[in-house]
Amino acid sequence: MSAINKTSIVLVLIVAAMLPTIWPNPYYIHLMVVIAIYAILLLGLDIVVGYVGEVSLGHAALFGIGAYTAGVLNFQLGLPFLLAIPASIAVTGLFGILLALPALRVNGPYLAMVTLAFGTIIQILINEMTFLTNGPMGLSVRKPIWLGHQVTGTDYYYIVLVALVATIYVVQRILKSHLGRAFEALHDSPIASDCMGVSVYGYKVYAFVLSAGIAGLAGSLYTYSEEYISPNTYNFELTILFLLAVIMGGRKTRTGPVLGAIIVVMLPNVLSDIELFKVISIGIAVISVVYSLYMLVTHQRSLNQVAIPVIATVVLATSGFFMENITDHRLTIFGVMILFVVYYLPNGIMGFLRNLVLKFKPHWIQRHVLILEHGDKNHVWSVPDHPVTTNGHLLEARNIVMQFGGLKALSEVNLNIAKGTVHGLIGPNGSGKSTTMNVLTGIYKPTSGEIEFNGKIITGASPSKIAGEGIARTFQNVQLFGEMTAIENVLVGLHHTFKHSLIDVVFQTPRCRKEKHTAEVRAASLLQFVGLEALANEEARNLPYGKQRLLEIARALALNPSLLLLDEPAAGLTAPDIKDLIEMIEKIRGHGITVILIEHHMDVVMSICDRVTVLDFGQKISEGTPAQVQSDEKVIEAYLGGSAKEA
Amino acid sequence: MEILAQLIVSGIALGMIYALIAFGYQLTFATSGTLNFGQGEALMLGALVGLTLVGHMSYWLMLPLVLVFGALQGIFVERVGVLPAIKTKSEFGWIMTTISLAIIFKNVAENVWGHDDITFPSPLPTAPIQFLGIRVLPMEILVVVGALAIMLAVEMFNRKSIYGKAVVATSNDRDAAGLMGINTGMVITFSYALSSMTAAFAGVLIAPLTLTGSTMGVVLGLKAFSVAIIGGLNSGMGVIVGGLILGIVETTTGYYVSTGYKDVPGLVLLLLVLAIKPSGLFGKSVIKKV
Repeated sequence: MSAINKTSIVLVLIVAAMLPTIWPNPYYIHLMVVIAIYAILLLGLDIVVGYVGEVSLGHAALFGIGAYTAGVLNFQLGLPFLLAIPASIAVTGLFGILLALPALRVNGPYLAMVTLAFGTIIQILINEMTFLTNGPMGLSVRKPIWLGHQVTGTDYYYIVLVALVATIYVVQRILKSHLGRAFEALHDSPIASDCMGVSVYGYKVYAFVLSAGIAGLAGSLYTYSEEYISPNTYNFELTILFLLAVIMGGRKTRTGPVLGAIIVVMLPNVLSDIELFKVISIGIAVISVVYSLYMLVTHQRSLNQVAIPVIATVVLATSGFFMENITDHRLTIFGVMILFVVYYLPNGIMGFLRNLVLKFKPHWIQRHVLILEHGDKNHVWSVPDHPVTTNGHLLEARNIVMQFGGLKALSEVNLNIAKGTVHGLIGPNGSGKSTTMNVLTGIYKPTSGEIEFNGKIITGASPSKIAGEGIARTFQNVQLFGEMTAIENVLVGLHHTFKHSLIDVVFQTPRCRKEKHTAEVRAASLLQFVGLEALANEEARNLPYGKQRLLEIARALALNPSLLLLDEPAAGLTAPDIKDLIEMIEKIRGHGITVILIEHHMDVVMSICDRVTVLDFGQKISEGTPAQVQSDEKVIEAYLGGSAKEA
Repeated sequence: MEILAQLIVSGIALGMIYALIAFGYQLTFATSGTLNFGQGEALMLGALVGLTLVGHMSYWLMLPLVLVFGALQGIFVERVGVLPAIKTKSEFGWIMTTISLAIIFKNVAENVWGHDDITFPSPLPTAPIQFLGIRVLPMEILVVVGALAIMLAVEMFNRKSIYGKAVVATSNDRDAAGLMGINTGMVITFSYALSSMTAAFAGVLIAPLTLTGSTMGVVLGLKAFSVAIIGGLNSGMGVIVGGLILGIVETTTGYYVSTGYKDVPGLVLLLLVLAIKPSGLFGKSVIKKV
């Protein structure tokens, strides 16, 4: 962290600490407390919405669960403040697990649908379970008394401020660790993430539960701030308010949630005072007109593109003069704001400012943390997590059938891969080579048949489980984490070497730092092995096609596999690159890693494969040494059509 | 036993309304992978517009007008809310925009029709028909028949007409359908029109049985989510069965446990189905090609 950053953080903290002396009015202090509490919740919500890319419509309910856990424990059992808070975090986290486990099993808008239903049910339950929650009457609690001193509103501001700073710190640590990297990876390419042993499902649940726990913390702090809670606070409108705050402030930042919280807490005040509303809406309209004119003059936007937002903001500003009372139209204005932010400020205010800075002073902002470790030859190779123990074939696929509806992509295929060999898998397009790959790595569950790897049956296991067993792969159509740098891509492959827990991450224990350092050296070494050390801090999507394929190999090797599946690694490579690739594959075999190679370049296949299997229309038509296969009539027929004699 | 039969009969009528809304979710989900989080508001607007029209004409004359209104409302939602989000491939985008449009519709409805619930004049006699000791309202029969009829009509349209084939093709593979010269954008707009149309129809069907008001749609739209997931987002049969299950479970829980808790088993059922068979009771799990 640079010196400028450090001083600015210290300055902000000093200002925050002095605010109660600047505005001693209890009403303002209460507003600041609520802002800080919302900011805590939004920091957690951003993990789900910003990083993992799922939409939760249940965070108001989770906030309510946190609030009621603290309230009920204090009201019914007299549990003290310092115990009620962790209890709230735990209970809300449990509810998070209960929701996330089923809802995240399928891709699509399911989480949003389920959490929306959950939100209503929680409100009903709080209302109905009067024996616990006192129903619609609500619960009263008092701020704690510490050492004979009744905590006042101002004292409570400092307590909440400490909680906010701690939350920012913890969330920042988590998101900068291998956990945060996993969240970003699964959002970027779910399939690649699964095949690197980072379970998409598992980490989505993890992210949601973290977020729920933070919502619980915010909820319990809210109970003590308001000293009275009732079921109607935690409604759908609050959920939407939270989401608006996250996107308006700016996703994937720590400052965005704080800014968003300030906006949404002040919003009801703005929307209840028509004079204030007029001033602000005119201000926004002027900004939007000036900005649009600037974009028009500099030819960055066309008239059509700027017309709608300009008209919308001007209409909003003029509407202020026609309405006698604004509260009746509050929700409409609220809805228009969401539409506006979604379309014209998708990265929020922080994202907008960031883009402005990037335009004028690009060197002020680093998109990625630079990793400057140097690799060396000694750190390229490592032993597999599960050593090869089987005496027979490393992999045996028996009678594999893969059916898509009426189409049999694979029928009764048997495949035996001997340890330490390079096994070629060839066949015309559509013969089932890539399907075989996908079956072996667990992306498809075979209709029937059995796969045994290293003495274990792995049929039906999840891709991340199979990756963990030691099967790594590359993809025919490159599946890199495009928005991450090359070295970060390899670090996702090394995810399995990070054995430390959340606690280690938060406290940056020596163990955590050591594992991080080891992984970075290893990643740099792997990049050096495939010849990409100069491009380590370049975003993967900016690499040329051939280099992307090499990066995929480095990432797959990071998994310490005992079996490596290469799907057309030579596609898009130039002739000299292909020579390097052949050398690379030989080195990989030399280090005891078995390779299955799908390739259309026959010279590559014939020069390095120990055995070759030929597929056609989902059936194995030939198998043997390269020479045997080359002279097999069935193979020639499959590739050239007709029988060899006719040709 | 008679009470149980009575509860089942009321549950069926309620369930068919859920099924009809869930059917609307399916229509748009099939073509675009998106759905309207304001479907309940489409229903509410249909009912309220129907209420206003019914003051000037008969119920039966009002029906086609409400259907047209529903279709236009669906087109509006798609153009303003969904289309831009599909272009940027943002799931967050369409969820948020359809929700914010829903909020706006509800607020506008409050300002136009007021905050209070209004009774909707029933087009059929309100005296229940006795049938083996079970009392059935004529309107309940109309709900079931009407819901089945419109679902059947949409299905027939999709299967038999060339426009319907374009819809099916777009559902199967939007890119390939586009390459074959189908204007997939139009198909998606059309599916939204159909979807909101069925919701508006559901609105005028249910309105005489309940009260009409700006908040009537929220809970119905939400229940239909459960139905769509329980039945499967891609199974026409599933929504009917799912709707019936949920409707009956709710009326029986309401009677035997407490009306306060009648919404709870729905969510439990929803979570159970997701945990055991995430593609829904009747849904096919789709294998995603890599």
